[in-house]
Amino acid sequence: MIYGEQKLKETADKVLGMTKAGQAEVILTVTDHALTRFANSQIHQNVASNDLGISVRVIVDKRIGVAGTNSFDDESLKSTVAKAEEIAKHQKADPNFVSLPAPKNFKKIEVEVTQATPEERARAVSIIIEKVKKHKGVLASGAYDSSITEIAVCNSLGVWAYHKAAAHELMTILLGPTSNGFASVLKKEPTLIDADLVADQALKKVLDGANPQDLEPGEYEVILEPQAVNEMMSFLAWLGPNARVYHEKASFFSGKLGQEVLGKNITLTDEPRDLRGFPMPFDFEGYPKEKLVIVDSGKLENLCYDSYYAGKHEAENTGHALPAPNTYGPIPLHLKLEPGTKTQEELVKDVKRGLLVTRLWYVRFLNPRSMTITGMTRDGTFLIENGKIVKPVRNLRFNQSIPEALNNVLGVGKELETLSSFETELGTNRMPALHIKNWTFTSGTDF
Amino acid sequence: MKKQAEEILSLLPSGIYADVRVVEKTGEHIATKDGVVEALEQSDTKGYGVRILKDGGWGFAASNDFSKKGHEETVKRAFEIAESTAKHTTVKTVLAPQEAQKGEYKTPIGEDPFAVSIDEKIKLLLAADKAQRVSPKINISQAHYSGHREKKVFASTEGAMIDQEIIWCGAGVEATAIDGTELQNRSYPNSHGGQFATLGFEMVRGMDLVGNAPRVGEEAVALLSADTCPTGEMDLILDGNQLGLQIHESAGHPTELDRALGYEASYAGTSFMTPDTLGKMVYGSKIVNITHDATLPGGLATFGWDDEGVAAQRVFLIKEGKFLDYLTSRETVEELRRTNPDYKHGSNGTMRASSWAKIPLIRMTNVNLEPGDAGSLEDLISDTKDGIFMSTNRSWSIDDKRLNFQFGTEIAWEIKNGKKGKILKNPAYSGMTPKFWNSCDAICSKSEWNIWGTPNCGKGQPSQVMYTGHGASPARFRKVDILGVK
Repeated sequence: MIYGEQKLKETADKVLGMTKAGQAEVILTVTDHALTRFANSQIHQNVASNDLGISVRVIVDKRIGVAGTNSFDDESLKSTVAKAEEIAKHQKADPNFVSLPAPKNFKKIEVEVTQATPEERARAVSIIIEKVKKHKGVLASGAYDSSITEIAVCNSLGVWAYHKAAAHELMTILLGPTSNGFASVLKKEPTLIDADLVADQALKKVLDGANPQDLEPGEYEVILEPQAVNEMMSFLAWLGPNARVYHEKASFFSGKLGQEVLGKNITLTDEPRDLRGFPMPFDFEGYPKEKLVIVDSGKLENLCYDSYYAGKHEAENTGHALPAPNTYGPIPLHLKLEPGTKTQEELVKDVKRGLLVTRLWYVRFLNPRSMTITGMTRDGTFLIENGKIVKPVRNLRFNQSIPEALNNVLGVGKELETLSSFETELGTNRMPALHIKNWTFTSGTDF
Repeated sequence: MKKQAEEILSLLPSGIYADVRVVEKTGEHIATKDGVVEALEQSDTKGYGVRILKDGGWGFAASNDFSKKGHEETVKRAFEIAESTAKHTTVKTVLAPQEAQKGEYKTPIGEDPFAVSIDEKIKLLLAADKAQRVSPKINISQAHYSGHREKKVFASTEGAMIDQEIIWCGAGVEATAIDGTELQNRSYPNSHGGQFATLGFEMVRGMDLVGNAPRVGEEAVALLSADTCPTGEMDLILDGNQLGLQIHESAGHPTELDRALGYEASYAGTSFMTPDTLGKMVYGSKIVNITHDATLPGGLATFGWDDEGVAAQRVFLIKEGKFLDYLTSRETVEELRRTNPDYKHGSNGTMRASSWAKIPLIRMTNVNLEPGDAGSLEDLISDTKDGIFMSTNRSWSIDDKRLNFQFGTEIAWEIKNGKKGKILKNPAYSGMTPKFWNSCDAICSKSEWNIWGTPNCGKGQPSQVMYTGHGASPARFRKVDILGVK
């Protein structure tokens, strides 16, 4: 189900014509989503849905109201506009609000979109299941997620922005008698999904991970694979360069703009137009997104702003708005850690005694101000001794400050993997493997 | 909505099982920060989901297109998906027998939260926001309110026709004090947005947010200069609002039968409470009784029927410490019988979907630690020679089989010779689930019992956020690993 730019523009213009508010903004979304899920080596859930979304933000004398619905018929549109205006009428003026963004040219990113059919999804899943059946005692679980999204943003100052994108992700967790193995692939077209590769990578993890041994908690060197790095960096994205949190003095980065905050071997950028990831040419206010250097060789260079916080703090809008009303602040959705020069195998060779970590799980802030996180390892943790993987180990809990870890990086992988950004489908990060010293593990578990 | 459900059902061929949910949902969210209304939003969504079981394989399709063509296309899509599933399915899905239910349910409320004016809600939140600012060290003051109304009709080819209206609301305040690199939060009545229940606006009025806000601010400021919680093995008393989340993570999730059967392995994980341990595992001490109860008045997960038409129930999951039952569905109980033929129960009614666009999954209802006989919190503290009392969740994490957990709370108090002493900052505790629950030696009485609402439980692919409830009164655990976070 594709609406197309013209039809969405007509709908947005119609909505703007319904309001007399000083300023108004309309966000339209069209989604076509399908997912095939498997467990115990067979498909057990197979779903599809279509939906529309419209969110109207009106501003009357700095009083802001937002209303939303999922119908584009005239009656629903009128009622949603009226509701947003009514809400604004009862609002208090927000002295920090300056203006919605004015129009600014940006180059579109044209993407062909295709939905994976149920049969395509089932075939990919079957490849994994059939490969796994050859290994006694191993069961396959996972999901093939396929989505097409159209998004359009329009405002009364003349902003019009439209983009469409597709994402197809096949992931699996294989369950062996004593171990798990994980692998995933995220692509823009279903034809690029390589189910054999996903199966082979996960099989290697589950087979190599059989009969894991206990390991005494403590400080270890770690090789975090890209998936694990991404899980850590998604938390940094939330409370690190976020202008709202920075200016509230609630971030580890607060007051440190221009200062060295991470190791000299860390350069962190937000690259929303990088075609190797899943690009997004504008933010949820229709403001153009461009590459932003956040940390350059360890030094904090820039923060992420949307129109509200740019106005409040007299800074330049960097195009990081989330949908209104946004109580999280502006967040980067296309993080890239600058790659290093070594393959993951070469990083492993540099480890005297440490752990190879496939994934982090249930990561949460333990202390948000110091950006200390806790979580577990999952789906493949291995002991490295003298540059070689010597045995699988049981999963461990870690308590670790992210800035400390990024000041303790001994090596950065040269290959970047494209991975979903913070629990959303709004963008992708591109992350390498990292070799980090003094990573703190505090306890173990039974598997 | 009933007519729409009937129309959609009429498009289905005979000889298969199918059900339809038609849902209309309205949400209202207000958030203030630092004296400004930061978010004021109302949203509506309506649509329907069609679930078809054909030749032992499921298909599900959902749409917001209520035209005849929309109905037809959605049914066709669900049908095609079911056929595709069946082709690749070796173990056919079977549903446990269920008498077709007909009826209506509406959350009993006092004051309709959607009938209370926005002006009044804003006024209340701004007053609570302002009242937190007891010191220049309060850097951020926040207040939240959410209201939710969901009308849904469930109809099935077996003849079920159920009409429900679920209403819940809630509110809370959160003060953040900052001094240099030190940051401390205090919330009331609970963290992560406050307290939520299937009650009317009378619940929000009864919270006295404005009256409690100065204390919240004062505690946040006091924490800035408090000692860090000591690290070591100690006796621990958990306040009800923290214990609610402990129950959620370490009792609710591992007793979800879909997890235990491996159906959540690809995302949320599995469970250490495997079917071979059912009826045998000593999960906790003799005083630990854990129920799931979707009939509990005011519980955030209280309803008339679940989303596959099974009536709300109260069931013991853990009785006198022993693992007795799971949270179940029609499909999973049949599968459980393949390995546990003595299991005689039908579904205990826990299937819920977060939206019309999502398929129902086993979700916690109100999963509760039944009250004990240790009297009041004061009595329990008096009965504790040395230990730590922790309140209000700040951090939570647990492994994918629900064994190794670690929780941080906003605040703790030292207990010395049966007396509540000085406050302690950055407290956390960790443990392994069965060892922890077996160390429980005292649970406060019914007078201290409250049903804590958790509106943000994530599960499934695609991800679904569901609202759950957890009845708890403060309880004591012996020799727990406690740590002060850096």
